[in-house]
Amino acid sequence: MSALDLTLRGQAAAIVAGEVDPAQLLDQALERIAQRNPEINAVVETFPERSRQMLEEAPRGPLYGVPVVIKDEWPLPWRAQRFGAAEMFSPTGPGESGPYRALRDAGATIVGVGNMHELGASSTGNASVYGPACNPWNPERCPGGSSSGPGAAVAARLVAGAVGADGIGSIRFPAAYCGLTGLKPTFGRAAMDGHHMAGVSSTIVSGPLCADAADCRLLGSALFGASLEAGEARGLRIGVVRDTVSEDVAPAVHDACAEAIEALRAETGGEVREIALADIELAALATVLIANTEGLIGLSPERLAKLDPALSPIARGFAKYRMLLPAAASVKAQRIRTLMRRRLVTAFADVDAIAWPTVPAVAPPLDAPLVELPSGTLTADQANVRGAGLANLTGIPAISVPVGLADGLPIALQLQAAWGDDELLLDAAEALERANGRRWVESLPPLARQTEPTGA
Amino acid sequence: MEASNRADDFIPAGLASLGIEADEIELAVMGAAHSLFWPGILDLLEFDTDGVAPEPRADLSMPPQTT
Repeated sequence: MSALDLTLRGQAAAIVAGEVDPAQLLDQALERIAQRNPEINAVVETFPERSRQMLEEAPRGPLYGVPVVIKDEWPLPWRAQRFGAAEMFSPTGPGESGPYRALRDAGATIVGVGNMHELGASSTGNASVYGPACNPWNPERCPGGSSSGPGAAVAARLVAGAVGADGIGSIRFPAAYCGLTGLKPTFGRAAMDGHHMAGVSSTIVSGPLCADAADCRLLGSALFGASLEAGEARGLRIGVVRDTVSEDVAPAVHDACAEAIEALRAETGGEVREIALADIELAALATVLIANTEGLIGLSPERLAKLDPALSPIARGFAKYRMLLPAAASVKAQRIRTLMRRRLVTAFADVDAIAWPTVPAVAPPLDAPLVELPSGTLTADQANVRGAGLANLTGIPAISVPVGLADGLPIALQLQAAWGDDELLLDAAEALERANGRRWVESLPPLARQTEPTGA
Repeated sequence: MEASNRADDFIPAGLASLGIEADEIELAVMGAAHSLFWPGILDLLEFDTDGVAPEPRADLSMPPQTT
């Protein structure tokens, strides 16, 4: 077994123990990217000399010598982010983004840049200036977006951890589709400096994508700049809602999530409570409106007349459509935000976490991202935003954890908690891993089960 | 007067008012986006928020300070 197949914390511990040489680990990661990446297009750029320099200068921090991937949404000192697109609508350039500094200061080695959906505008990851990333569980399926590359890279075990960004579910979707654990932190808690929307966006956060919760805790601690201490989720009060987010889902997803919720309850000695949380779909639309109007800051009719022809027709058309969104709807969306934040205060007085499926169906085909639900056929984006938007709208943390497989593709449960309870979500995710014997966090896609060529 | 969901009314007028040109494919994309978003936007605009007091200087990292 290669050291690359260890967990993130396992790699860090093996380096500290002198069992693994970090320079060799970096070389192995680069070799594995060269070997496996052509099938999934998860990593869009490597820079071996920069990575080696980073390792040479790395402090002996908690991630010393561990290779990681960072999404194409974060600038690096030697590389401007491209946001998965031929053209961005905000100024961009190389620089020290917050996540870069967090990784550097923790001693990690950035081994490559992860692909992402063009302009961060979809839950699928099936469009990018670099070409789509593919799902390691089935390369003809969507890896999830917009942090498609980070998700696919970790699922294929190119690296054990990656940094994404989540403005409307963009860490949780790839975590769900790729069978990973992905944490969307409380708004403002994780490093955000240097993002082209920092100070403008009220929905985007950085966060970790890893195989399991303990690795998310380690990588998340670096991004938070504070240790995310482990605790025990004893007596967990789990809230469930009877709404489209939990009911209008594929039968296999419904059953796996219901089983996981019951397993979590039993493991923590807790209880499941049905709670009232109305207008979740309206909240999702409000999130979309807010995120898309905040993104208008760089657009003007003159700019739209000169769009790069290499932008996809969807990106060009949608950029123009966004200019037509009524201001009254954006103002109303802000009031919905206030309403939902207050409703969540009431809900979290009764429960510790709210659970529903991260996405209502498994990863759809790359070339036709549609999902079949009890209500009919929907685009994946239309269906996925329903359950993801609330956390971005209100600022609460959320985590996606793998809880099953259907048709060889991962199923995921989302847990959401009150503001600042990120640690509780990690504790709950670990409790769920114990409950199912770590069956799903240790499941590997076919690509990650490949034998290394000699010398790797 | 009833609201219209018809993209062929709304989109050309909106683009013309801003002086934005769009090709046939972009118009098709905008039409699809419109059919997806507009019904929800109309519902949102009708949603009664009169009883929801504003949250001044909301800090999204924290629960709301007023209820």
